Amino acid sequence: MTDEARLKALMLRGLAGEAQAHAALLSAMSGYLRGYFSRRLGAGAADVEDLVQDTLLAIHLRRGTYDPAQLFTPWAYALARYKLLDHFRRAGVRKTAPLEDAGDLFAAENPEEGAVRRDLSKLLGALPKRQRQLVEDVKLTGLSMEEAAAKSDMSVTAVKVSVHRSMKAMARKVRDEDR
Amino acid sequence: MKTDELIAALAADTPAVAPGALRRRLALALLAATAAAVALVLVWLGMRPDMHFAMRKAAFWIKAGYTLALAACGFSLTLRMGRPGAGAGPALGAAPAIFGALAVLAAVELLASPAGLRADELMGDSWRACPFLIMVIATPVFAATIWALRGMAPTRLRVAGASAGLLAGGVGATVYGLHCQEMSAAFVVTWYSLGVAGCVAVGALLGPRLLRW
Repeated sequence: MTDEARLKALMLRGLAGEAQAHAALLSAMSGYLRGYFSRRLGAGAADVEDLVQDTLLAIHLRRGTYDPAQLFTPWAYALARYKLLDHFRRAGVRKTAPLEDAGDLFAAENPEEGAVRRDLSKLLGALPKRQRQLVEDVKLTGLSMEEAAAKSDMSVTAVKVSVHRSMKAMARKVRDEDR
Repeated sequence: MKTDELIAALAADTPAVAPGALRRRLALALLAATAAAVALVLVWLGMRPDMHFAMRKAAFWIKAGYTLALAACGFSLTLRMGRPGAGAGPALGAAPAIFGALAVLAAVELLASPAGLRADELMGDSWRACPFLIMVIATPVFAATIWALRGMAPTRLRVAGASAGLLAGGVGATVYGLHCQEMSAAFVVTWYSLGVAGCVAVGALLGPRLLRW
């Protein structure tokens, strides 16, 4: 993973006292963090940038806890995940996040193209408001079933059923239009 | 403040970080706390009067070796738990193995004794007090370990707390050995382990409260 190699090199140079390398690392991390928190909190959420800054501060202040003999990305991911869960805890919501999924933070950027987004909006627009919100949460924002259920104050089963029905309805609509 | 400004401000304060700083911090804290624990035992409980003879016996060193080995596991675990993303490492499996080894020795010892003496060997004179005293003596060590951990970045707070408990319990039990006159492996593997386990449990309980940052 070239991200790992590149970031680790910057981290090591920063640890040696190179301010420019450290700044480059923080800059790069801010991009990843913004994507990660947006995916977890919903793209429009006001807290995303606060969390990004919080985590950058943690990366800076606690950089002494990085062991150069280990990979960099799991260290960064553990910090980001800790900050995310702490944010949820303070907001009073019980959530989980996978422990061993650094790929979640360092995933490639979003794949939506303009044309796809247009068709998608049309399809989603046909759904009732609540069902549409759930589909957006689960399929677009990438929340887990548990997270979407907590967000909408519904049971996980209800969310699964609703999303399933919505997907079927949209698929039917697409089939009808193609005929 | 915009994120770019924050990054610039942070990068302006980038001294080189010395390797091994975490380990040194923990070691220093431990040194001070162990001295305090020793002082506590000597003043409050007093050194065992037969220390001079006890130190010649293998049982004395087996006891000390057992508790120190547990403390070493706690030390290793605590350092790892202070680093985000680090796994628990070999110490997690080593601790139960060490307990198991002494348990086997204790069983062998018990079976080699006449049946009528076995209960005495297991219970000794001080089984009621022992785990409790170990936990009390471990307290300054636990406090120092928590202090050291707070200078790191623990992300799994319960496990970190439990690791601190294991370290504190191991050290506390070792220092307690300066006073305690029980020598049978059966006693140690039961009541000393209980004391250490109590420290682990308290650590796990208090971890989230004490270590959050």
